Amino acid sequence: MSAYEYDVVVVGGGVSGITAALTLAEKGLKVALISKGDPVCCLSTGCVDVMTGEGDPWQKIGELPAGHPYVKAGDDALRDGLVFFLRIMEEQGLPYVGSLTENRPIITPIGTVKHTCLVPVTMAASDLAKSERLHVVSFKGIKDFYPSYLTNGISRSSFSVFDAGISTTLGIASRFEDEGFLGRFISWLQDTENPHDRIAVPAVLGLRDPVKVMERISKAMGRPVFEIPTLPPSIPGLRLFRALKGALQAKGGHLYWGKGVSSIERQGSEIEAVTLATAGRAARVQGRAFILATGSFVSGGLYAGRDAVRETVFGLPVFVPGERREWFHAQFFTPGHAIEKAGIVVDDCFRPAGGKLKNLYVCGSILAESEVMKNQCGHGLAIATGVAAARMCARGLA
Amino acid sequence: MFKVNPDFPGPKQAGPDAQRFRLDGERSVDEWVKLCSQCKRCEVACPYGVNVAEIILRAQLTYSSEHLSPFTAHLFANTHYLGKLGSTAAYFTNALASTSLVKGALRLLGLSTTLPLPEYRFLTLNRGRKRKGRFRAPMKVAFFHGCYLNYNRPDLGRKIRDLLSYLGCRVVMPRQTCCGLPALGNGDVDIAARFARENVKELGSWVDKGYKVLYACTSCGLTLAHDYPELLGVPGGRKVAENTYNVHEFLSNAIEDGSLAVDFGPVDMHVAYHIPCHLRALGIGYPAARIFEKIPGLKFRILDDDCCGLSGSYGFKKKNEKTSALLGQIAGDAILATGARALASDCGACKMQLAHFTGLPALDPAEVIIESLRPAPAKKHA
Repeated sequence: MSAYEYDVVVVGGGVSGITAALTLAEKGLKVALISKGDPVCCLSTGCVDVMTGEGDPWQKIGELPAGHPYVKAGDDALRDGLVFFLRIMEEQGLPYVGSLTENRPIITPIGTVKHTCLVPVTMAASDLAKSERLHVVSFKGIKDFYPSYLTNGISRSSFSVFDAGISTTLGIASRFEDEGFLGRFISWLQDTENPHDRIAVPAVLGLRDPVKVMERISKAMGRPVFEIPTLPPSIPGLRLFRALKGALQAKGGHLYWGKGVSSIERQGSEIEAVTLATAGRAARVQGRAFILATGSFVSGGLYAGRDAVRETVFGLPVFVPGERREWFHAQFFTPGHAIEKAGIVVDDCFRPAGGKLKNLYVCGSILAESEVMKNQCGHGLAIATGVAAARMCARGLA
Repeated sequence: MFKVNPDFPGPKQAGPDAQRFRLDGERSVDEWVKLCSQCKRCEVACPYGVNVAEIILRAQLTYSSEHLSPFTAHLFANTHYLGKLGSTAAYFTNALASTSLVKGALRLLGLSTTLPLPEYRFLTLNRGRKRKGRFRAPMKVAFFHGCYLNYNRPDLGRKIRDLLSYLGCRVVMPRQTCCGLPALGNGDVDIAARFARENVKELGSWVDKGYKVLYACTSCGLTLAHDYPELLGVPGGRKVAENTYNVHEFLSNAIEDGSLAVDFGPVDMHVAYHIPCHLRALGIGYPAARIFEKIPGLKFRILDDDCCGLSGSYGFKKKNEKTSALLGQIAGDAILATGARALASDCGACKMQLAHFTGLPALDPAEVIIESLRPAPAKKHA
């Protein structure tokens, strides 16, 4: 028995894959999205890094080597992609803010400042001026969030601790959905006398409607409130993922979640279908075109075995920077380990170089030369290449 | 579960983390492992293919085998017999279950009374006709209805049977017993394995005759397709699993490959489609939604981020009452936020729980499809 035939099947459910799928679904194409689990974006801060550092990210993009995926995707894909992203998130009730040409600061859980491009509106008020006094609220028992790191790093700041009755970030975030809990939190905060200008909380202000929670607290306290991203599991990352996934479902995209691709069906230079390791019997998902967005080593798109680095779904050839001994710096924290350059080399149409597969496109951090850690360009690169690959794919199908 | 119940340390700690300490053969002490409801959301979420829920399930079974099980566990492991008894004396069971005296007694025995107990029906599916549809119909299906449709909602079971035969299937109702999931969930692997062997024998004989096995209850489906060949390793289980389909998966595939032409009429409905956890766990996507897309006028929204919290018998135990209610509230609020006028879900337990927490009518996806075929119900399938 044959299955549904899709115009495009996207393999990989992270920011890049969903962006590509959304772009195509908005063009009226029938799209399936396959993911073997929740993507690594659930572990991210939820912020969209375009390029690291203060100032204009485009300036730094201009300094990238010609082989970098940003250069391949072109300025239009990035700009259109970010505008598209802002619109989608607005529609999903999780608005983002930020300037495309000027990075903005957020405060990290260790009290340092990081510069990023787009931030969820719950982090909008983290642009703290030097003269401002900050009050940090933490929660009893919460892991990996030490308010004294923040108060040591930020002058004129203090902290207090609220007992939420549960200590996991997911647990606390769920409590904030409850009106009664929110009310108790606000009245406790009002009782802790503090003359500060802004209030910071770890990013746990609810899962579904954090903007409402933040605004309620902010209004009651009469001063700006903002979230500080936490170590994984990250609630803003989870919200980002759920919003993107919801947007795709609302636009008619079909999800196949939880099972990886177990085999592929290929006819000459075209991929015809992939099969999923579903319960009982492999499910076949066929499409006219395919997009690979499975990410790099962390998300399992690439696997470094003893003998070679493999691409795990289609078995594409992988570019690797030299011998294994050349992959790493002597020091772990030195930025720019050579292995970060590993990935799939693509042609100008974002198809695997060599021309052996005509209906497969590749996007996201699995692309060779991305160096996502060094450039801190994770979600930005995912969005730009997702849009670029989707456009090429749509053109190929037309 | 762990997001509302701090006593449960979460799937990672309860599963792979704690497993390292369980390998030494000592008697198990982690009673909290039973707080896992086996929603299997952890398994769907894990991108590295770790069978988190299965690790926990095995630990639960070990714990149960080494400790005396509470009365409720024995009761729910045998829901099949409960159903037989309840439906045979349906009139008395239902009347009794709603009295405050009985409710008090149930609470004493460790049962939750947050939800009204499901009512039993006398005219169960296995008391009704066993075959429907033309003998020479091109599509032959054996309907595994499971306990809920049989004992509690035979009317819905008959609707699904009639929908299938209306669409041109030859439907048989094979002799069947409980799928065994309640027994697994309540720590009784022997009962589960016995049920599995009985079902595989009967269903396997229909598969040999060219029938496809269809299920509507997604938890039964997951047990048939996954647990029979894997966890329970029943001989012949693989053959049954390979030929087992979700009702809507089967119909959607038939529509897509052109073997089934359905003329969907317009409906005026706005439905929140709550995806049962076990449908997610099957990994087959959301087949009913693929059919919903073809129904003119049907407005629907897929909700797959929240577990309803009832998880079969889990929420009917008093010790899980609060956890279940908190999760039910979260999932219910998500449904109400869509502004839908009804909710749909494939799972009987999800529907009971969410109808309670939203006050909305709870439909089976098949009922939505039937609604769109309603204008010409008398028209015989050509």
